Amino acid sequence: MKKKILSVLVALTVVASLTACSSKKAENSDNNNQKNPSTTTIKVFSNQTDRKTGQGLIEQTLFDNYMKENPNVKIEVEALDDEAYKTKFKAYASGNSLPDLVNAWGQPSFLNEVIDAGILAELNKDDYKDYGFIDGSLEGFSKDGKLYGLPRNTDVMAFYYNKAIFKKNGWEVPKTYADLITLAGKIKAKGLIPCSMDGSDKWPLSIFMNDLVAKLEGDYKTEYRKSIESGDFSNPSYKKAAELLQEAVKAGLFQSGFETSDYGTSLNLFANGQAAMYYMGSWEMSMATNPDVIPEVRDNIGVFMMPVVDGGKGKVTDIAAWNGGGYAVTANSKVKDEAIKLLNYMFKQDNWSKLAWENGVCMSAQDYSAYLTGKETAPQKAFTDIVTGSTSITGVTFNDLGTSEFKSLSEDLSQMLAIGSIKPDEFIKNLEEATK
Amino acid sequence: MQKLYSNKWVILSLVAPGLLTFIFAILAPICLSFYYGLTDFSGLGNATYVGLENYKNLMSDAAFWTALRNSILLAFGFILIQHPLAIITAAILDKLQGKAEGFFRCVYFIPNVISVAIIAYLWKFIYNPNFGLLNNILKIFGYNKEVNWLGSGMAIWSVLVVLIWHGFGWGMLIYYTGIKNIDPVLYEAAAIDGANTRTVFMKITLPLMKPVIQVNVTLAIIAALKQMETVYLLTNGGPGNETQFLANYLYKQAFSSFKYGYGNAISVVFIVICLVITVALNKMFQEKEVK
Repeated sequence: MKKKILSVLVALTVVASLTACSSKKAENSDNNNQKNPSTTTIKVFSNQTDRKTGQGLIEQTLFDNYMKENPNVKIEVEALDDEAYKTKFKAYASGNSLPDLVNAWGQPSFLNEVIDAGILAELNKDDYKDYGFIDGSLEGFSKDGKLYGLPRNTDVMAFYYNKAIFKKNGWEVPKTYADLITLAGKIKAKGLIPCSMDGSDKWPLSIFMNDLVAKLEGDYKTEYRKSIESGDFSNPSYKKAAELLQEAVKAGLFQSGFETSDYGTSLNLFANGQAAMYYMGSWEMSMATNPDVIPEVRDNIGVFMMPVVDGGKGKVTDIAAWNGGGYAVTANSKVKDEAIKLLNYMFKQDNWSKLAWENGVCMSAQDYSAYLTGKETAPQKAFTDIVTGSTSITGVTFNDLGTSEFKSLSEDLSQMLAIGSIKPDEFIKNLEEATK
Repeated sequence: MQKLYSNKWVILSLVAPGLLTFIFAILAPICLSFYYGLTDFSGLGNATYVGLENYKNLMSDAAFWTALRNSILLAFGFILIQHPLAIITAAILDKLQGKAEGFFRCVYFIPNVISVAIIAYLWKFIYNPNFGLLNNILKIFGYNKEVNWLGSGMAIWSVLVVLIWHGFGWGMLIYYTGIKNIDPVLYEAAAIDGANTRTVFMKITLPLMKPVIQVNVTLAIIAALKQMETVYLLTNGGPGNETQFLANYLYKQAFSSFKYGYGNAISVVFIVICLVITVALNKMFQEKEVK
């Protein structure tokens, strides 16, 4: 008797230890089946963690509307911040279990490896003919003539500035880079931080330099790609841009410890009125409506572009802009067609583009001129003018044009250059090596 | 009952969960890591065999050596700063008695109870050069320069302070338990012989604490090598790679640079280093015991 009980116990232990992992999954699928057999569940993996403001709100609103219009569709969202998102994206991809609709970046550093691995579904280009996507905005999501995703926004890098502080002290928007450096000294003398910089994430520093190359070379879009492909950064403008960045740091343009200030900290320096300027992308235009930003700042946000450099060929209207974040559908999704339908719905006229604009969140990658009301916030107006008046755009910046390894190496280099631990010469040399 | 434990099936069933966990959660991943370390796998798509290429690159990778140096630095920091302080604090706590003893024991242990994420952000704010607590305190004493605590040159020391501070309570608690286990009769005998506090500490407490010290030192060295979360959240290895640690560097290579193969090669070297050090430590302590 004892023996029998024993063997039963033994068997139970082994079975329990073997099935410990799989039992949860089985439960889940049972639940789903019981609820509603005809419901289609679309799983979405998003990098918009804040579902109540900004782009996350727009995304969620569109999902909610879609579910209302299609009661048999259920949308489940999983959201993580950028870095965590990228890590989990990879874990999902290697386990072949990516959600159906995913956030993606239309940049070679992210997209190339993903497309090569055959993870994303090809979209039908002709579907989007009358979606009003602006010229070239689908380029980032295309490879070898095939389209793999849709961009959310047009991103422009600019200086936000506090108009009230500028007015009070009689400062003017700098016309040249030299003016900017002089201005930095004046602002510092007043005990304020001239320009808040997110240096711990590194990419803003890379973009800063790319912005300078645009001011030195003018329309240089195709040349960046060539430099990355050939590993040739011998054009003196690259070195010059590196020198100019170091010059700015030496002059104290950025807050002390900028290399350790993360996104939130640097944003807050400006949002709390401690910094007079803030170098960041157009997606932060929603500061003008964000209740967390103090009113003295919120109502006084101005925008200016990287000023021209003496002797440079570029104009102030040669801007650093690109179409970055967006969406793609996974190739082996069980509800691929449904997911593509949802994606198309999001970017149909009067959806993403209109909502994003009306809420002052960002500029979509589509033609949004129909939604202009004249009641926009100051940064919204400024960015619209900047984009419509631009003479050239950089496209995806150089740090995002290579492999993901190049991205990480080149951004590390930008940071090391900025804190002066390498010289411009070494920066160029190491950059060339990183392309190999 | 005896019969029950001599049944082979019972033994197997009791060992099975542990053994299976070890095989599938530790051994198999290590073998896989070794395999991937020989490829140029990016984490997606196909892997190509590249032989020892990753290991060759690793040897000439400056960041890897910085990371290793930092780990060793931290281990020394633990052994030379954190642990002596922990032993002394434990001995003082033991002498305090009563309510104060319990209170301070709790206070010293608090950092260990708080989540690492919170600890990292707490120190990030303390160190912030623009509005941080530390610089503001310096200002009170008339030092008006904005010290960039996590900047180039300073960063590694600032990070070490956080790590040593954070692990302090844990080490202290183990020492404290060790001291509590020492037979009070010995202290009484020493008191009768007229030994002063210092002699008692050096001649009785310390020698009897040896096994505890050995365990703690081993734990400290392993903790130093494994260090990841705090550094990831505090500096993520920056500026440059100045505060890089092995585990964090491995993570960065595998998951930010999409160099999964290279990351695995690092992890294999990492395992070897950990094994060598653990074996060496065991040997060292064993020899001492024989003497």
